[in-house]
Amino acid sequence: MHVSVRLYLRISGEILMTLGVVVLGFMAYMYWGTAMREGSAQQTLQSELGHQWSGSGQSLAALTSPDSLALGKPFALIRIPSFGSKWQFAVVQGTGLQQLALGPGHVPGTALPGGIGNFAVAGHRVTAGNPFWSLPSLRSGSLVYIETVAGTYEYKVTGKPAWVSPDDTAVLAPVPDHPGRDPRRRMITLITCDPPWTGTSRVIVTGVLVRALPRAQGIEG
Amino acid sequence: MYGWIWRRLPGGSGTRALQLAVILIAASLLLWYVVYPWASLHLSFDQAGLG
Repeated sequence: MHVSVRLYLRISGEILMTLGVVVLGFMAYMYWGTAMREGSAQQTLQSELGHQWSGSGQSLAALTSPDSLALGKPFALIRIPSFGSKWQFAVVQGTGLQQLALGPGHVPGTALPGGIGNFAVAGHRVTAGNPFWSLPSLRSGSLVYIETVAGTYEYKVTGKPAWVSPDDTAVLAPVPDHPGRDPRRRMITLITCDPPWTGTSRVIVTGVLVRALPRAQGIEG
Repeated sequence: MYGWIWRRLPGGSGTRALQLAVILIAASLLLWYVVYPWASLHLSFDQAGLG
């Protein structure tokens, strides 16, 4: 009997230690693996955008009708100079885990870049290359550039970051916080999670369009 | 568990150690390239979406 108890303990100990190593490996994957996956996805997405924009106007048609944007497909570049001159991501359509693994995602149903209403983009705070890690550091006056096939849109952050509950969809409304009201302004809302690694709450940053530059005179962000 | 695997492997200690290393490397690659990527898209720690 002693022998079988000892055997049982040894086997369960080995299994638990193995599981511990597997979980540690998973944490390492979440940290480094997802960043590598996102990095190679971004390379593909950004070169895809380059091809689209230098080619025919086929994607301009897609941009004018929100329904034709396909989940996981890129349609814009986001640049935030306060995050560094190299900080640039392709924005894909959709904010499911599958899409956010590729890069920041456009919330379906919200306005398109430069459009009247609220262009909402969500991104991971950590994992997948930590695109929105520094979002809470943005302040009133920080600039956000969105480049599409049509041109570059310059948004200026208004106010401080706000912390909202994860189910507060009113911040996505065409007039943020006032669902049902008719929009007149062209807004942007950036969303990520806080604290990092959790789903506890969201931190959002809102801005308003200050300039739209057609592609011919597009600016380098 | 590992003792059981060790006893099931054929050959001497050297051959057994080599086989065990191959098994461990194969298991790690399977985890890193198949299991973890799948799990990372189904378990959410860092939630950015709303609603």
